[in-house]
Amino acid sequence: MEVKEEKTRFDGVRVEVLGPTYEPGKPAGQDEGNWRRKLRDREEMLRYLRTSERYWYSSDWYGSERRKNPA
Amino acid sequence: MADHLDRSACPATVQLLGKAQQDGVSTAFLRADHVKPCPIGAEGSCCRNCAMGPCRVLLPRGKSDLEVEVTGVCGATTDTISARNFLRMIAAGAAAHSDHGRAVAETLIAAAKGEAPGYTIKDEYKLLKLALDFGIEVGDRPIEEIALDVGKAALAQFSQQEGELAFIKKAPLKRQEIWRKLGIVPRGIDREIVEALHRTHMGVDQDAETLLLHGMRAALADGWGGSMIGTELQDVLFGTPQPILGQVNLGVLKPDHVNVIVHGHEPLLSEMIVVAAEDPEMLALARAKGAEGINVAGICCTANEILMRHGVPIAGNFLQQELAIVTGVVDAMVVDVQCIMQSLPKVAQCYHTRIITTSNRAHIPGATHIEFHEHDAVNAAKAIVRAAIEAFPHRTGRVEVPPHRVDFVAGFSHETIDYLLGGVFRASYRPLNDNIINGRIRGVAGVVGCNNPRVKHDSVHVEMVKELIKNDVLVLQTGCSAIACAKAGLLTPEAAARYAGGGLAEVCEAVGLPPVIHMGACVDNSRILMAATAMVKEGGLGDDISDLPAAGAAPEWMSEKAIAIGQYFVASGVFTVFGVTWPTTGSEKFTRMLFEGLEEKVKARWAYEPDPIKAARLMIEHIDAKRKALGIDKARERVLYDMAMRRGLEAL
Repeated sequence: MEVKEEKTRFDGVRVEVLGPTYEPGKPAGQDEGNWRRKLRDREEMLRYLRTSERYWYSSDWYGSERRKNPA
Repeated sequence: MADHLDRSACPATVQLLGKAQQDGVSTAFLRADHVKPCPIGAEGSCCRNCAMGPCRVLLPRGKSDLEVEVTGVCGATTDTISARNFLRMIAAGAAAHSDHGRAVAETLIAAAKGEAPGYTIKDEYKLLKLALDFGIEVGDRPIEEIALDVGKAALAQFSQQEGELAFIKKAPLKRQEIWRKLGIVPRGIDREIVEALHRTHMGVDQDAETLLLHGMRAALADGWGGSMIGTELQDVLFGTPQPILGQVNLGVLKPDHVNVIVHGHEPLLSEMIVVAAEDPEMLALARAKGAEGINVAGICCTANEILMRHGVPIAGNFLQQELAIVTGVVDAMVVDVQCIMQSLPKVAQCYHTRIITTSNRAHIPGATHIEFHEHDAVNAAKAIVRAAIEAFPHRTGRVEVPPHRVDFVAGFSHETIDYLLGGVFRASYRPLNDNIINGRIRGVAGVVGCNNPRVKHDSVHVEMVKELIKNDVLVLQTGCSAIACAKAGLLTPEAAARYAGGGLAEVCEAVGLPPVIHMGACVDNSRILMAATAMVKEGGLGDDISDLPAAGAAPEWMSEKAIAIGQYFVASGVFTVFGVTWPTTGSEKFTRMLFEGLEEKVKARWAYEPDPIKAARLMIEHIDAKRKALGIDKARERVLYDMAMRRGLEAL
C-alpha cells in the first residue's frame, strides 16, 4: 500500500513524498545504469551528441543564447 | 585515554584514533595539536621571495592597511605581499591539476600509438565529443587515429603561447565576453603558471589588482584547461562515469584478504592495479600465502576515480590515510601524487605495511619506489601487487578493522545527469531548470574540497550539506567532501526523504537521484563547470553562470589546489565560501578586493565563514538573491490550460 508523507518546501508549500514506502534494494547486473550501450555506432553517437549536448554541438540550438549568428 | 569524539564526525576515524594512541602512532590529528599555525603566515603577511627578507609585514594592533602602510625592505605593501602569496597558491594548485592533465594526455597518445599495453580507448562517444571541441575531423577514421589527434591537440594546450584555450569556448558566451574584456582568457596552461611565478618574483608586479587578475587567468587555465583536459581524457581512456553503487569507510578493508590501498590522484596507475589484482596469477599467489583474495580500496581522489568506473570501495578521505595503516591489515599503500603525507612510512614502521611510491615526481624517504610508466604499466602494477602479497604473511600487532561501511551511489558525470533527466531521445537539463524555476529546487551548490585537522574531521562538510539539502538546495560534490558525505549516508536516493526539504525530495524521488550528487575527484570539478554551463545554455535561468541560483564551498579546505579551484569558480561567476581559515586576512585591502571588489569585475566573489551552518545560510541567501533577480522568488506552478481557459485568455 502506498503511504505518503507530507514535507514542507523552502517556500512553505506542503508536498507529498513517498519516503515511507521506499524499499531498499541494490542494483543487479553488470550493465545496470550503462546507458552508453544504447548508442550502437558512430553515427548514433554523433546524432546523440548533437541532440543531448545541443548546447555546444547543434547548429540550431541557442537556448539562453539566441542570436543571429550561431557560435 | 582521550575519546577523540571532538576530532572527527566519522566513527571509524574516532575508533582508530584510539588504536593509534594505544599503538603509540603519531597522526596528523595529534600533530595539529603540537604544531600551531604560524600567525604571520596564516594571514599571508610573510614575504620570503628574496634574501632581503623574509619580511613580516605586521600591522599595528587594531589597525588595518587601509589606515597605515607597512612595507617590506623592497617597499612592497601588505596588499601586494598578500596578493603575491595568494597568486603563488593559485599557481601551485593549477600546476598540480594541470600536470595531472598532461600525464593523461601523454598516456592517451601512447595508447593511440599502441605503445601503452593495457590502455585502450574505452569511450568512443567522449572521444568524438573532444574531436568536435578541437576541430578534428571524425568521418570514418579509425578510433586510434582520432585519439592520437585529440591527444596531441590536448597536449598542445599546455605549451600554447597565443590565442585562447580550446575549452574556453564551451563557457557561456556572456562569460567569455567578461573574460575577454578583462584580458584574463588563458593563452596556454603552462604560460599562465610561469607568468604567475614571474609576476610574483621580487620586483615585478607590485599591484594587488593586476596580480589578482592574473590569478584568475591562471586559475581559469586550471578549471577550463588542465583540469578539464584531465577529466575529459580520463573519460576517453577509462570510460565516462555512470551511476554505480559503492561502499565507503575503513570497514571495506578485509582482514582475511591482501589489502592494497591506492592513494593519490592520477587513475593511470590505479586502473592498472585494479586489473593486476584480478589477474589469476596474482590471486593464486595470494592464496598460496594464506589470503582469501586481493582487496583493492582507495583513499582520496584516486578512490573517487576507480570507484566511479569500477565500483572499487573507498577506504576513506584525506585524514584517514594514516588510520588505514593503523588497522593493521593494509599490506601495501600505493601512492602517486598530491595529498600524500610524508608521515606514511613512519606510521607503516609500526606495522608491516609497504609504502610504495610510483611517480617520478613524488618520492618519500622510507618508502619503496617502484617507478610507473604507461609504456610498462601492467608489469609495474603486477610488481606492486606482488609486493603487497609478499607483505601479507608479515602482519604484526593487533588487527582492528572498524565495522563501519556505508553504501552510496556515485558516478554522476555531466553527461549522465543530462541522460537521466531526459533519456536517449530527450536528454536535457530542462527538467532541472524547470524545477528550479517552479521552486521545487531552490538552487544548486557545489560543496567540494579537502579535510583539515584544524576543524572537526568531516563534520563541517556534513553539517553544511545537511543544511543545504534541508533547504531544497541540490548539492554537487567532488573529492574528500563527497567521501565525507557518503560516509554520513547522504549520497543515496533514500537520503532525499530523510534529509531533504519537500521540493528537493519530490524531484529526487521522481528522477531517482540522491539529493547529494557525487561527480568525482577534485580534478572533476570541471564537470560542475560543464553542468552549470548546460543549465545556463538550456535557458530560463539567465544567460551567465553568475545569474544562476548557485553557490560553491570548500568548508574544510587545506591544499593550494583548493584555492585554485575556488578562484576558477569565482572567475566563472560562482559565489564561493571557504571555511577553516583565510590566507589574506593580513591585508584588509586585498581581502576586500576578493570579498567585494571581484563582484564588479566577474559578478562573483569569495567569502569566508568557518561555521558550516552560517556558511550554508550565506549560500542560501545568495541563491535567494539570484532567484529574486530572475523573478522566480515566488513559486508559480505550471498550469495545463484547457480550451475554456484559453478562450478566457483571448477575451482579456
